[in-house]
Amino acid sequence: MKTAVTAGLFAATCLTLPAHADALDDIISSGTLRCAVVLDFPPMGSRDESNTPIGFDVDYCNDLAAALGVEAEIVETPFPERIPALMSGRVDVGVASTSDTLERAKTVGMTIPYFAFQMAVTANDASGIKSFEDMKGKTVGATAGTYEAIALEAQVQEWGEGTFRPYQTQADVFLALSQGQLDATVSTSTVAQANVKTGNFPGISVVGQAPFDTDYVALFAMREEYGLLNFLNLFINQQVRTGRYAELYEKWVGGDLPDLTVGGTYR
Amino acid sequence: MFNYTFRWNQAFNALPRLLEGALVTLEIALLSMLIGIVIAILLTGCRLSGNRVLSAIARTWVEVARNTPALFQIYMAHFGLGAFGIHLSPYTSLLAGIAFNNAGYLAENFRGALKAIPDTQTRAGRSLGMPPIQAFRLIVMPQMLRIAFLPATNQMVWAILMTSLGVTVGMNTDLAGITQELNARSFRTFEFFAMAAVIYYLIAKAVTLAARALAWRMFRY
Repeated sequence: MKTAVTAGLFAATCLTLPAHADALDDIISSGTLRCAVVLDFPPMGSRDESNTPIGFDVDYCNDLAAALGVEAEIVETPFPERIPALMSGRVDVGVASTSDTLERAKTVGMTIPYFAFQMAVTANDASGIKSFEDMKGKTVGATAGTYEAIALEAQVQEWGEGTFRPYQTQADVFLALSQGQLDATVSTSTVAQANVKTGNFPGISVVGQAPFDTDYVALFAMREEYGLLNFLNLFINQQVRTGRYAELYEKWVGGDLPDLTVGGTYR
Repeated sequence: MFNYTFRWNQAFNALPRLLEGALVTLEIALLSMLIGIVIAILLTGCRLSGNRVLSAIARTWVEVARNTPALFQIYMAHFGLGAFGIHLSPYTSLLAGIAFNNAGYLAENFRGALKAIPDTQTRAGRSLGMPPIQAFRLIVMPQMLRIAFLPATNQMVWAILMTSLGVTVGMNTDLAGITQELNARSFRTFEFFAMAAVIYYLIAKAVTLAARALAWRMFRY
């Protein structure tokens, strides 16, 4: 009798425990980590000739899955659909070069920065634009929903002349730029160099830096999932500490490794 | 699991901007209908003209407009023409794409309406001494427009909804464009999209009701 009660209590304890599982538990027990990754954003995310997702963000998701001991699943997510994908439960984590603005942090949980972008100006050669200031009064554009699009639109409003156009994908921005529909664009310097290098978009060149603040990007997850967010923060720390961040940067971008810390303050 | 706290006050603060966008949406839809109706009448005329070349052009237009996605038509107006150095602004590309689509569908509408008008009407007009063009203009066309009116309001509703495709060509002043921008800035996706959906619904409903009232006044026997 006593054994039966103990066994019953034991069984009940085992059965009720999963009810308190948080997102971190769910990911580990499901055996799959689903990452939202933007795949038209080389070199962070794109597809190779055989249509396999590749890029910094893809590798980062794979590392994260390995750290969790689960399989990684890359869920292709365009920029504007990152939040719907997370909120509707289609993905667990966003590894999608997401700028950590305060406005957005009211909605989703942002980790510490895992990457940092410098902004570059790319111009159509026929436009005569040689610097950021030359963009005043011209038709400029950027990928809708990105940090640089928000900053550039504000800049155009401040200049009070010229036109701003948001396109839905990075590819459309560079297509429009190459056709001369846009005179110039501001994008992350990594994207600018990658796109100019492909040769798919003739007649454009990177002409200089844009004086916007460094664009720190974070991983994101549900705002209330502190267990998961804590794990992600430590994971990012470990990536830097173990040299994996530098290794991935060299592999996909190359050049000076961006510092992920901000001097003079704690996160 | 849908884990999201709605924050409507933030969305309501943006209502004036959304309504500004709604005006642009309505403006594009109306203009595209006006242009579409004029072109559709020309296309119908071309088909009836008996001229091989004109009727082939009209038939091709209708075929392409009705059998390809509106998204493709708008994208082509912007990037397709852009490849040939013809640069239309997002506003013009969107308007051109929708007008092209409208013209194709309305031409079919008008053709159907024409079929509903007995030949004897034209013949009666001709026997009164009217030249063919005059018989068409004074006798057939008024009846054709009357029959085609309500189906055409359908196309107007469709035109309103199609304006939302403008975001693919960089349109940022219409309802869909403003919604996208607000969403990118704040990530309050569901509030802004829900509000945009309601506004689209109200515009479309208002247009349908207005058209019905207009038809009731205009077409009384």
